[in-house]
Amino acid sequence: MRHGRFYVGLAGVALVVTYLVWTGISDSMVYYLTPTELVAKVAEDPAFHTVGVKVSGKVVPGSYDRGEGELVHLFSVHDIEHSEVTFPVVYDGVLPDTFTDEIEVVLEGRFGEDGVFQAKTLLTKCGSRYEAAPEELDDRGTTG
Amino acid sequence: MGFVGGHQQRGDLVLSAERSIHIVFALLIVTSLGIMNAFLTDQFQYWYVANYSNRDLDVFYKLSGLWAGQRGSLVFWAVLLAFFSSLCVFLNRRRNREFMPYVVGILQGILGFFLVVLLFAGVNPFEQLGFLPVDGAGLNPQLQNYWMTIHPPVLYLGFTAFSIPFAFAMAALLKGRTDSRWIVLSRRWTLVSWFFLANGIIFGMRWAYEELGWGGYWFWDPVENASLLPWLTATAFLHSIMIQENRGMLKVWNMSLVLLTFLLTIFATFLTRSGLIESVHTFAENTKIALIFLAFMGSIFIASVVLIVHRRPELKSENQIESFISREAAFLLNNLILLGAAFAILWGTIFPLVSEAFTGEKIAVGPPFFNRVNLPIGLVLLALTGIGPVIAWRRATKRNLKRNFATPVVAGGVVVAILLGLGARNGYALWTFGISTFVLTVIVVEFWKGTRARARIEGEGFFPAFLHLIARNRRRWGGYIVHVGVVLIFTAFAGRAFEQEIRKTMNPGETVTVASPFGHTYTLTYEGMSSSREGNFERWVALMTIQKDGEALGAMSTERRWYPSRETMTTEVGIRSTLVEDLYVILADVEDLQGMVANDPAAQRIVVQVMVNPLVGWIWYGGVILTIGSLIALWPAAEIRKRAGAGAMADSSQETLAGAAPA
Repeated sequence: MRHGRFYVGLAGVALVVTYLVWTGISDSMVYYLTPTELVAKVAEDPAFHTVGVKVSGKVVPGSYDRGEGELVHLFSVHDIEHSEVTFPVVYDGVLPDTFTDEIEVVLEGRFGEDGVFQAKTLLTKCGSRYEAAPEELDDRGTTG
Repeated sequence: MGFVGGHQQRGDLVLSAERSIHIVFALLIVTSLGIMNAFLTDQFQYWYVANYSNRDLDVFYKLSGLWAGQRGSLVFWAVLLAFFSSLCVFLNRRRNREFMPYVVGILQGILGFFLVVLLFAGVNPFEQLGFLPVDGAGLNPQLQNYWMTIHPPVLYLGFTAFSIPFAFAMAALLKGRTDSRWIVLSRRWTLVSWFFLANGIIFGMRWAYEELGWGGYWFWDPVENASLLPWLTATAFLHSIMIQENRGMLKVWNMSLVLLTFLLTIFATFLTRSGLIESVHTFAENTKIALIFLAFMGSIFIASVVLIVHRRPELKSENQIESFISREAAFLLNNLILLGAAFAILWGTIFPLVSEAFTGEKIAVGPPFFNRVNLPIGLVLLALTGIGPVIAWRRATKRNLKRNFATPVVAGGVVVAILLGLGARNGYALWTFGISTFVLTVIVVEFWKGTRARARIEGEGFFPAFLHLIARNRRRWGGYIVHVGVVLIFTAFAGRAFEQEIRKTMNPGETVTVASPFGHTYTLTYEGMSSSREGNFERWVALMTIQKDGEALGAMSTERRWYPSRETMTTEVGIRSTLVEDLYVILADVEDLQGMVANDPAAQRIVVQVMVNPLVGWIWYGGVILTIGSLIALWPAAEIRKRAGAGAMADSSQETLAGAAPA
């Protein structure tokens, strides 16, 4: 037997894990897009308005406004590379501490027919969360 | 140099190689002290210090500057690696001489790699700005937390300690001594590494729970996953080595696990440092480092696989699995499942990269994916925690099964029935509670049987018998205690299913009520806000008084802080812990912070999010128990006594003597 049975067991576990991974991915995967890609996708196929997507962009400076009701936040995001591509966002929830103008946010939600992105989750992300960019010090005065 | 010395049996070369390890360690200590000194004395002319510290920063956090950023943390990594290498060389200065030349060679290689990264990847911590800023930018406020200060060093200790088992495994292959000797030698190192990894991960969870303020502790973020992966494979290795020791099986498997775990520890630093995968935790992107790490991992992988294949004939199994219902099979299943979980997590983590490479579209999977895959896997694993230790080797009989498992299965069933009766309906949580009870009963019965037998044979009292029982076989009983800790942690995870959450806008004097799943209710009254300036931040504190079922429990506060040096706001949640649950209050929004300062009552309106997190504290308690268990298993006395007493170990001490003079 010996090796035979061992390999059957191995294959069994591998199959179960593969099955779990496969169904898990197909049930929970979302497109991860830039605003430009999202706008293009929606123009191509309006059905995309109903699909959950993840999108990363930067908060347009000065666009933040407190909405009506508890913890409703209104702001706009723009594409990191093509800053002319922008759309408004509504987010209902607690804003992360690091949320501010020009910060990179990762939104998960739907891009509604009205052109407003309804965000279910919002994460802030930036390379400088732990690592400050060297330029940051430039505007601080120098002493000899 | 070690390699050459070992190959040519040149004692002088080996000695010089060993000394080089000590020297590198000493030099790295000097470097680290230099960095720490720069932080303590506010030497902002250094880029690294200027970006991670300022004058107002607490001394405690200044010291942690050594590992707060990419540049320092690479030095820190190297110094820990050198510390373990040096310790390993020192402990083995008279023992295991046939392995040491190769071990030293491998360690030199790894150390050399990190030194090359430090010197040539543009991460010099002593780089000068060219001018002297008045003050530094300060440390990111979110890192100014006790747990975040000790989390990285502990995790790094775990990562770096695993280099030693890897070095021993490769030394065994190079030397051609492929019996289980290398396993005996590296077992304790593996446990040290495992222990630090486990604690590092738990400290990280604690930090996320206290500081990030969303009520959870694990987000399946790529960097979190990266630290979990080597822990999973190291856990698999700790178990599979028992099969090799007892039954002479799974030799190639064990070699592969060591290699895999080691690669995953490197992968973890690679992921954190390269910025290759979107994560909220990463250091700045550094493609140069990414390429160097990829090349390093690739060459280690190829070299190790070639070695394993080369020694394949000598790594043949001495035994075969006889039955699926046996301890070997249970351990093997545990291994396969741990690896399966590791694979699933790795796949989910790198999925955006893979999908982009193949389809051109970035597709991400989030926490739902990881939870979905890992919940069933975790449950089977948990069950094996109870089955593995008591099922018979080779082939379990019906009698063995019935004797060992009847009571625990019934106990688990009873607990599930009671919980169902009390109205708990979450399937996964019920399974977890049932299986946890099963495992705990198995362990308690084992302890009880062992203690009773010993008390009877030795004529001791119950309590001394219990202590002597553990002392006699620390590895076994320590392992059981670790299992208890793991069970508690799993139970805590299941507790999340019963979390309560409520959000409310409040003016001073208003109340909010939240019901605990344990049947009582908390009523919080918002008393008002105050603001003050402390150390390096300004704070706004919302004061709440709490009642539990109408009975006053006192006050708690939740606050926001403003760190002017980094122009950053942070939320500090208020947590009130009891043995079974945490009351967790987040200050989600404040109407008008500036108006608040000007004493305008309307500005005091706030939005709070109140949560009741059942069982969350059990993670921390589980962590403490796990630590105690690991320390018992690690305690050296047991092995020495065993070696002196047991005949089976006698030949290995002879080998130690024989190997003492390789030159």
